[in-house]
Amino acid sequence: MSGQKKEFPITWGMVIDIDKCTGCGACMASCQTENNVEPQRDASNKLRSTSWMTVYELTNGKSYPDHDIAYLPRPCQQCGNPPCVSVCPVIATEKNENGGIVSQVYPRCIGCRYCVAACPYHVRYFGWFDPVWPEGMEKTLSPLTSVRPRGVVEKCSFCHHRWTLAKDAARAAGKDPEDLADGAYVTSCVQNCPSGALAFGDLKNPKHKVHELIKSPYAYRLLERLGTDTQVYYISRREWVRKLGDNYLKSE
Amino acid sequence: MGLDRRAFLGLVAGGAVGTMFTPIPWKLIDDAAIWTQNWSWIPKVPKGQIDYVATTSKLCPASEGLKIMRVAGNPVSAAGNPDHPLSRGGVSALARSEVYMLYSPARIKSPMKRNGKTFAPITWEQALIEMSEKLGAAKGSVASISGDATGTVNEVLTALVGKLGSAGAFMMPGEATSAAKALKLMGAQGQAGYDFENADTVLVLGADIFETWGTSTRNRKAFGATRPAGAKPASNYIYVGPTRNNTAAVCDQWIPAAAAELGVVAMGIAWHLLKAGATSNAPGFDTFKAVVNGGFGPEDVKRATGIGGDVLAGIAKSLMASKAALVVTGSPFGQGMGAAPVIAGMSLNMLLGRINKPGGVYMLPELASVVPGALSRAAMLDGDLPAFLKGVASDKTPAPKALLVYDANPAYGLPEAATMAKALEKIPFKVSFSSFMDETAALCDLVLPNSLPLERYDDVATPYGSGFCVYSLVRPIQKPIYDTKTSADVLLALARKLSIDLKFDNFQQVLKEKVASLSKASGGFVAKDVMPWQVAAGKPAPALVGGDLWKALEAGYAWTMVGQVAQTGMGFAAEVVAKAAKAGKPAAGATLAPYAQLRTGTPATGIPCQDLTTVPDTELLGENTLVRLNSETAKTLGLKKGQMVKLSAAGVDCQAKVHIFESVMTGMVSAPLGFGHTAFDYFSQGKGANYLSLMAVAEEPGSGMSMWIASEVKIA
Ligand code: SF4
Ligand code: SF4
Repeated sequence: MSGQKKEFPITWGMVIDIDKCTGCGACMASCQTENNVEPQRDASNKLRSTSWMTVYELTNGKSYPDHDIAYLPRPCQQCGNPPCVSVCPVIATEKNENGGIVSQVYPRCIGCRYCVAACPYHVRYFGWFDPVWPEGMEKTLSPLTSVRPRGVVEKCSFCHHRWTLAKDAARAAGKDPEDLADGAYVTSCVQNCPSGALAFGDLKNPKHKVHELIKSPYAYRLLERLGTDTQVYYISRREWVRKLGDNYLKSE
Repeated sequence: MGLDRRAFLGLVAGGAVGTMFTPIPWKLIDDAAIWTQNWSWIPKVPKGQIDYVATTSKLCPASEGLKIMRVAGNPVSAAGNPDHPLSRGGVSALARSEVYMLYSPARIKSPMKRNGKTFAPITWEQALIEMSEKLGAAKGSVASISGDATGTVNEVLTALVGKLGSAGAFMMPGEATSAAKALKLMGAQGQAGYDFENADTVLVLGADIFETWGTSTRNRKAFGATRPAGAKPASNYIYVGPTRNNTAAVCDQWIPAAAAELGVVAMGIAWHLLKAGATSNAPGFDTFKAVVNGGFGPEDVKRATGIGGDVLAGIAKSLMASKAALVVTGSPFGQGMGAAPVIAGMSLNMLLGRINKPGGVYMLPELASVVPGALSRAAMLDGDLPAFLKGVASDKTPAPKALLVYDANPAYGLPEAATMAKALEKIPFKVSFSSFMDETAALCDLVLPNSLPLERYDDVATPYGSGFCVYSLVRPIQKPIYDTKTSADVLLALARKLSIDLKFDNFQQVLKEKVASLSKASGGFVAKDVMPWQVAAGKPAPALVGGDLWKALEAGYAWTMVGQVAQTGMGFAAEVVAKAAKAGKPAAGATLAPYAQLRTGTPATGIPCQDLTTVPDTELLGENTLVRLNSETAKTLGLKKGQMVKLSAAGVDCQAKVHIFESVMTGMVSAPLGFGHTAFDYFSQGKGANYLSLMAVAEEPGSGMSMWIASEVKIA
């Protein structure tokens, strides 16, 4: 779907245990406040609202009482082979930094929304409105992420600023910033999930829990057959959940 | 957002369609012109020293410990405190919003007095004079309602009202109310505490334990700990209730049962336990046995609930086979349960020998009160607010001359809203101590804004559901932003003005004394390296190391104690269950099965500013809330997906949009609570309907307490 795949010695990844997610939305709320997404008064209009992390409700499609549900938290999948990158005419989004996080440079983005269209996971959001905080609430803005104006595309960054902080902390402690301990860098959604459904770490580092988790026979990635090679893995013991994630047709 | 297989395919197809229809060339020029200008209209992010301070969430009933990030002294965001036993790093969407709520447009910025249909600001001094005059005149007939289930503020409030001549000091009804009544009828002492951390098989009857019931964040941490990702779970959770709700979604088994039949289900399981030889020395066992065998055999239960005997036998078997079984009973929407189902559920714990055992139910002592003349929590929970207000509305009970409402919103959060509003109208002088302009504040004569938890000293003592006694401090990490005060301080000032001696001058003194009393309690310790559930499981409790408990609490640590009140007369109270647990007749229309979620806040908070985005469009679409029913129910009622309908009951109508959702029992209509506010701000106001207003209050046979667990609704 896009150009060549790059390999990175550090590959940050998230592992989401669907069998533990209760769909509470704490990860969504955490992401919003962490990343200065403004509270949206018309948030019930999902075509115009912004939410870097969205929790979808999955169903097995059966009727009562055989019906089953599951919740699927969806951050940016940070594709190894990102469809959004190759379509961007101004290189506002790229995958070239160590860690394998797909970047999004707001001042360079011209709002053409090719990337929005190209992303099969719907993780990219176009800002239709200038962000407005209720009076005084701008005091609660996080100093660690910029506020985006209307007209640019934004998305989950794996709370990239937290990586910078973790590296700084490692340097200050005389440790190697390129070899962070498991848990030294976790994203806001992962940190706050009350169910412990989310895990985060370096997929390539055997000392990190996620390294083992992705080898589980129950681990899978979304739309794997597209070849996007995402850095977000899901885990479910339920076969229908796994099949749904990879978009199986009824005949398969 | 529902996402089935077809919609998922759409995710990919949508990508292609988007490309074709994007009006790139035109928009590009326009947009490029916008970006090249500087973004002066965009708020600048604050700069300054970052630090982290600890406190406890008071807006969220799960009472999480919080770590607040500040920039230049201003709180910026809230995260779960990993060192707090009720949080362990997790946080709910509601607790996360504590910071944003400081600047909620619904905040009341200064004291206000009613002036016809509107309010005019007044000073605190004027407010005190006005209150002392009115309350002085109302002596002998002053009532209070508190919405804070865990705070020592209740001691100040009830002591004051008591000395003014109380016409009733009430707590907003919730899970704790039903449980307290149940335990009282069983002759038990203490507050029921559920040790999820040490339990391996958990039977959940109705209670939404991973969302709104009790210490939900802690419950989920305990659940998660026994569920290694992708591996075989080390626990077994069974959920019984009318919908596959947030809790049931992750449980191992969902057994559909109407909320009103949960007591019958529990008794049905008891039948199998008894058959397998379960027995007990507790008083009333013989009656219990006779009641169970007389009316709750597999056939009876099947007739009443539709659940087959084999299913209940299976549950009984797993409960008996497990090392640490636990049965938890509660209302699927956090209120209105009545006592009988809780008694029936607790009887299972007794049959299984699970009282005051690790992984079972601990009977927790109430922490000693410090304000002379205050009501105990148990006494407050004994009051029946809906019954009282219904009595006032119908002139059976004389209306109190004055009412003090603290952190509660009865005009929105009680069933039969119309009746409750009528009762409130009859009370000539009403004061609301609320932080936000809620529906009740809008009806009051004086509105005296309470500082928010991040601006005040406050505390949290053993929230309902916690498996251990726990006490944590709420402390100001920011000066009040508006002209607000800590309501407990205002009440103490009022007492002085009325020459009532409450022993304390300000609330911080009260809290200091409370903390001092804790350091005397034997067995208490600060949870740091050792957690209370480990102590329950046999680890020795660390000593409460000398030094300053207050300081440890200010640093965000919690005082805990693995409590058990020895039970002398705890019995089965089967007569109560026999009267109450009877099969209801099937509804002609549909039965309302409401559900609540923390992301839509509480009646006292409204929908938190930041949380509206987390509400899916299968719950709120435009200005309409959606109700869920399965396709069979929809067919019977002649309803189609997306259709606008009117739900009617209790003389009230509510709009709804139909959402077909198969994880709802046939004959039930599942409706989200937390919407339909007429007050608050644009995040809450005018969004959907308040389905709680459709629920009719009935008297539970046997216990006499108010219940509204299910209501029949007409849908047209
Ligand atoms: S916070 Fe955790 S449980 Fe809640 S929706 Fe997100 S992933 Fe699921
Ligand atoms: S990783 Fe950070 S930016 Fe991405 S969804 Fe989670 S909180 Fe949001």
